Amino acid sequence: MIEVRGLTKLYGSLVAVEDLSFSVAPGEVLGLVGPNGAGKTTTLRSLVGIVRPTRGTISIGGRDLDRDPVGAKRQLAFMPDEPRLFEYLTVEEHLRFTGRLYGVRDSDGRISALLRELELAEKAGALPDELSRGMKQKLAIACGLLHEPKALLFDEPLTGLDPAGMRRMKQTIVERARQGAAVILSSHLLHLVEEVCTRVLVIHRGRLVAIGTIAEIVGSRPDLQGRSLEEVFLALTGT
Amino acid sequence: MISAALYLSRRSLANATRRRLARLRQPKYLIGFALGVLYYYWLIVRPRSGGGGAGLPGAGGEVLAILGLTTFLLMNWVFGSSRSPFAFTPAETHYLFTAPLTRRQVLDFKLLRSQLPLFLSSLLSVLIFSGGHFTPSRIVRVLGLWLVFSALQMHYGVAALVRQSLEEHGVTAVRRRLGVITVLTGVAVAVALILRRQLPEVQAAFAAGPAAGLDALGAILHRGVLGVIVWPLSALVRPLLAPDLATFAARLPAAFLVVGLHYVWLVRSSLAFEEVAVESAERMARRIAAWRSGRRPPPSERLSKGARRSLGRLAPVGSPACAIAWKNVQAEWRGSGVRLPVIIVLGVAAVAWVASLGAAAGTGIQVLATLLLVFAGMAVVFGPYILRNDLRADLLLWDLLKSYPLRGADLVAGEVLGPVAVLTSVAWGCLLAAFAASLAIDLPGFPVLDRLAALLATAIAAPAFLVVITLIQNAAALVFPAWVTLGPGRAAGVEMIGQRMLTMIGSLLLMLLAFLPAAVVAAVAVAIAGVAGVDGVWRAVPGAIGLTVTLGFEGMLAVAWLGRVFERSDPAAELGG
Repeated sequence: MIEVRGLTKLYGSLVAVEDLSFSVAPGEVLGLVGPNGAGKTTTLRSLVGIVRPTRGTISIGGRDLDRDPVGAKRQLAFMPDEPRLFEYLTVEEHLRFTGRLYGVRDSDGRISALLRELELAEKAGALPDELSRGMKQKLAIACGLLHEPKALLFDEPLTGLDPAGMRRMKQTIVERARQGAAVILSSHLLHLVEEVCTRVLVIHRGRLVAIGTIAEIVGSRPDLQGRSLEEVFLALTGT
Repeated sequence: MISAALYLSRRSLANATRRRLARLRQPKYLIGFALGVLYYYWLIVRPRSGGGGAGLPGAGGEVLAILGLTTFLLMNWVFGSSRSPFAFTPAETHYLFTAPLTRRQVLDFKLLRSQLPLFLSSLLSVLIFSGGHFTPSRIVRVLGLWLVFSALQMHYGVAALVRQSLEEHGVTAVRRRLGVITVLTGVAVAVALILRRQLPEVQAAFAAGPAAGLDALGAILHRGVLGVIVWPLSALVRPLLAPDLATFAARLPAAFLVVGLHYVWLVRSSLAFEEVAVESAERMARRIAAWRSGRRPPPSERLSKGARRSLGRLAPVGSPACAIAWKNVQAEWRGSGVRLPVIIVLGVAAVAWVASLGAAAGTGIQVLATLLLVFAGMAVVFGPYILRNDLRADLLLWDLLKSYPLRGADLVAGEVLGPVAVLTSVAWGCLLAAFAASLAIDLPGFPVLDRLAALLATAIAAPAFLVVITLIQNAAALVFPAWVTLGPGRAAGVEMIGQRMLTMIGSLLLMLLAFLPAAVVAAVAVAIAGVAGVDGVWRAVPGAIGLTVTLGFEGMLAVAWLGRVFERSDPAAELGG
């Protein structure tokens, strides 16, 4: 579903990401972890088409992001850590607008269902400045899920959520993967990664350090046997 | 406090300069910078004959300066927004309001920080008008203008606080500000009455020549009650007009007194505003308690302001560009207040009514039609600078826009179409109303059919003009986002005057380039229509069509180019972060 080959992004002489290759199959949740400045956000932004890679190819559902950006983007959704909303569109209008951009023909039914599922129905006519931080986050998620994307990318999805919101968010991620979506989740919260992800990609200074299930990663390093994920992470990244 | 403000200003300026210089590593900014240097040279440094040599005339100059200042103040009171030029940034709010400082110290800090931009704006304004002859005496002008800008900025701050207070706290604020409102209204009425009485004297003087007229007006402005009312304005502008340093120094104490009084007024207003806010918060708390106890307040007092009703429902399927345009039209509709249109309509009606009093039949309608035409023109020429719900607002969500499955050209077209649609509606509305009003009067030499031709020609050309002007503004935001104020609102504050002057002149030059080929095509179309036997004013219709088609073609090329620029852009590199 998501294929990344030799992804490299340079900012002048600064190497943000270097020769990164991996793939995420349908139903899989890949955790992207690494210390601050490791290149996680640049990787995610490259996968969504916000940033143009210096080298390498990205393919979403068989469509090359560089050659067919519109086709590739139709199949994915990106949930940034801060919800990005338009000041003068109501909750429902955000969904209608997103549905139109993604060409969702039966948007009416889906919008009602999503508003109910994410407990936003009562706020359908509210503008973003009338919503709490958690509700804004829910709206951004609803916009992302409306077109039933085959690839989902989350950047620090639990930021600003209350405990109930965190639980719902985790359920949403797992549920979408079960329905066949390929999910990439970038987070510093190692317990979230451990709980939700089927595989982990550790990135450090823009380079891939390790990839696989936690058991596989630990198995490849006998010195890390029996250690917690946090200790494994610190050992791999040398932080 | 002063040292902290100076430190912040000094370091911010140094770091901002360093960042701007670093940005020149990008070729487009380097080319833009080089062109900018040439442009500044052409506008400011290049010695020009006839410019800057003569100083401002004495009495006449003072009268003009007082009238100019009065116009600025009136425009701000009537049309200004409730956004204060002293609004705190999130970082300032975080660091200053949590610091062990009094509210007055915080305000002093903000006032001090605003002085550097005001000084630079004064310098820029004087340089622009000095015609390349920047003599030491010009320093007097810079310092004088700096004083005027400082007082003006503080006055705008007070006016914004009054408006904000009225908008947010309604009756409570009116009650608290009854004194100020009564004094201001009284002053306005007194000035109107005095001027009405003195009007014949001024008219007679102007009949003898502009200099004599200005002298007479100056004498009236410095006499009796009017002299007292006008004194603060006069005291403020006199240092600016001083012919030498000694006169400047002699006039300074009075100007300082006016600036000082504004400072006291601003501080007192700011503190009073906070009291009203607290009072309002208490009232709100009482309402919430009433809600909780089941005593629902009447609808007019409900807490949530809610969204203004949608202008229309977006169909689920269709062009994505139309969806973007729909979003921008909604933003214009919901973001605009009703105050401005109401003031304009009432103002037009009042002027037309006054003009009709005791005048020949039809004069009122003639004035009304003229004003409507002026508004149509203003909507086309100035509208794109005021309505900014396009890329200038949306680039704050650059990464979100880039994640949409859209072609860059579709996005740019949609963004530009939003404000163009709104302004076209305003312009067409005014033109139609002017035409309808003109039907009620007899205009010798301009029959109804010719008026219809003029209406058609202007209605055809208006959207094309709007597309070009809006595209230029959007192109600037997309190509040089670091040099353009992004966000739906324009940067507030007097210090923006100099910068706006420069960008306005730059945009005008670009517009001239765009309109040149269109004007040629329009002229050819008019000539062909003439050869084909089309009568008089009706030749303007094919001319307008030729103009619109050419500008439309140029617009399409620009949209395609800007679309590619958007697709290749990197938000992090452009805006940082």
